Amino acid sequence: MNFLGNILYDSVYHATPILLCVLGGIFAYKANVLNIALEGMMLAGAFVSMLVSYLTGNIALGYLAAIAVCLLIGLIFSFMTVTYKGNVIVVGLAINMVVPAIAGFVLQYMESANIRLTWKDVSDFKIHIPVIDKIPILGDILSGHTPITYLSFIGIFFIWLLMYRTKFGIYVRVVGENEDAARNLGLNTNKYRYLAILLGAFCCSLAGINLALERMVLFTNNMTAGRGFIAIAAIYCGQGDPVSSALYAIVFGAARALAVNMGLYAGPAAALFDVIPYVVMGIVLTIVSMLKYRNQKVRGFH
Amino acid sequence: MKKGTKKFLGGLLAAVMAVGMLAGCGGDSGKEDGKEAAAGGSDVKMAIVCSNSGQNDNGYNQSACTEGKEIAKELGAECKIVEPVNGVPAALETLAEDGYNLIFSLEYDFDALIKGVGGAKPIAEQYPDTWFVVFNDNPNRDDKGETIHDNVISVLFDVHEASYLAGYLSVYMNENMDKLFPEGYSLTPLDQSRGIGFIGGTNSNGILFYSYGFIQGINKAAEELNVNYDYYAKYDAGFTDPALGSTVAGTFYESGANVVFADAGVVGDGITSKAKEVGKIAIQTDANLDDQQPGHVLTSVLKITGVPVKTITQAFADGKINEMEKEQSYNLASGATGITDLAEMSKHVADSAAWDEIKAKTDEISKQIQDGSIDVVNKQIGEEFDPATCPHVTIKTE
Repeated sequence: MNFLGNILYDSVYHATPILLCVLGGIFAYKANVLNIALEGMMLAGAFVSMLVSYLTGNIALGYLAAIAVCLLIGLIFSFMTVTYKGNVIVVGLAINMVVPAIAGFVLQYMESANIRLTWKDVSDFKIHIPVIDKIPILGDILSGHTPITYLSFIGIFFIWLLMYRTKFGIYVRVVGENEDAARNLGLNTNKYRYLAILLGAFCCSLAGINLALERMVLFTNNMTAGRGFIAIAAIYCGQGDPVSSALYAIVFGAARALAVNMGLYAGPAAALFDVIPYVVMGIVLTIVSMLKYRNQKVRGFH
Repeated sequence: MKKGTKKFLGGLLAAVMAVGMLAGCGGDSGKEDGKEAAAGGSDVKMAIVCSNSGQNDNGYNQSACTEGKEIAKELGAECKIVEPVNGVPAALETLAEDGYNLIFSLEYDFDALIKGVGGAKPIAEQYPDTWFVVFNDNPNRDDKGETIHDNVISVLFDVHEASYLAGYLSVYMNENMDKLFPEGYSLTPLDQSRGIGFIGGTNSNGILFYSYGFIQGINKAAEELNVNYDYYAKYDAGFTDPALGSTVAGTFYESGANVVFADAGVVGDGITSKAKEVGKIAIQTDANLDDQQPGHVLTSVLKITGVPVKTITQAFADGKINEMEKEQSYNLASGATGITDLAEMSKHVADSAAWDEIKAKTDEISKQIQDGSIDVVNKQIGEEFDPATCPHVTIKTE
């Protein structure tokens, strides 16, 4: 692979978990439930996928268990915040804290600092697309990734479709924008909030599986390293629009890839690339909210 | 309710809360296990406060705990192992309060002990009859280099010497790759490039002195063989994100490095995972992690904390701890640092005769370091490293 190819490949690599969290968080954002538990759910996905694969020796079971556990966490989150109107920040924070605690406990019990599968190679997960593989730049972007990586990029389109072209998407948005109106329409608002959160939990589990199982066959505690929170920032920047939010996730991936790869030539200065997305985000968020409130004449309701 | 009653109740509530908080501090300042019953007869009450990775980390903490328990048994003393859940300072304070008179603190957390935080007196000053032992740095010095507290001992490991061995070994392994790893690996052939990498968690003396020792070891072997090596280093990979470590190692391997030395906690786990993925080699740190990715971890650079724990406890029991140096360095000769016995790698090499030869060479170098005929730059105590002294290593990035 050439230098440019490496950067492009790594961009996809680093963008994927953030992208999945973004796609997962969008519906909850639109339904007016701020899901800050993305980070914890992703870590749970990573942890359970590795733990179950390790214990059973079956990768497929690892995938399924991770998804199941994340959905369960999503259910608990919805139950506490939607049904019982708990504070989303507090409940989300609790999930973010309890997941690494449980993972840490299990690791302690296993007397190990990490979980890894010696019988599985990272290359087993990579899909090489026959013809495209040979095309220089395009091959680096498109080929040699893991199943969930492909799913995540196709997912941008599906989430867009789901949000703007289906009844479900419209209802979720109505619930978020004006709950009273939605009630008057006879919508079961809680149902749509539950579904939005569960969809998020599902995407987060995929993000976790991608990060731990598919990319490294390795789990270490807190390995998500703040990616869930970056995803929240990306959602806000894109205002919950699947395509523009996804774009921010990709900007993060590209910046990280540049920081890593340019390090070979620029040394520590390359770490400056890591700063770019935050600067971009700060500027974008400021401009977006300036434009939004500039012509706002009505008080109170926004 | 009358005003007076209200005030009284408020006061009572505050008192209850204060007591509750104190009880909380005392109660959960540490998970207490591994308590060895005191057989009496000894006035040694020792305690070991583990670092973040816990007592089962198969290395850094475990070594101290195992040796600590053993010597406590020999002396008929008590040895308490604490994994702090409420911060190291709280654990130290509780232990000192409970009458433990020799406390080892393995975490890199000294401020409360030496300087005092939040307006409190330094813990070392509060408990002048308790001995504290800290590791990996000497915080117990003022600006003039004078010792601040007489009851604090700082233990340093001369890991740069072990890193030197790892560097030396890496080059010989790389030069003999055709014999050692004829199949199953995809190492970059020697006629294309010769490269070795280093990834550290943070740009500090504690990390750099590994790297500088490593470079000198590479240079030594490269000089003997009259070859030149490229050196790729990243010193700011952090300690949490293995995916980052994995991709950084990927760029090094891609550029032709065959060995990458990981000194960055769990980030290193991502690096060894990458080594397996691309069929190359990594070196691990602190604990014996050679079996982390069997066949892809050449060796681990060790800190064997058990040695200083044993030495200092023995001195304490003999009443000689007052005569000990306040800053103690443990080098290769002391057995407190070194590289692993390479047993795991031996299972994976094809030509064991060539491998044994390399091992013998490395042992020879180890002896030369121990008897002082090879001097390795020790960045930890402030010695400066001059790249010009290593003409056979080209530092590409740092």
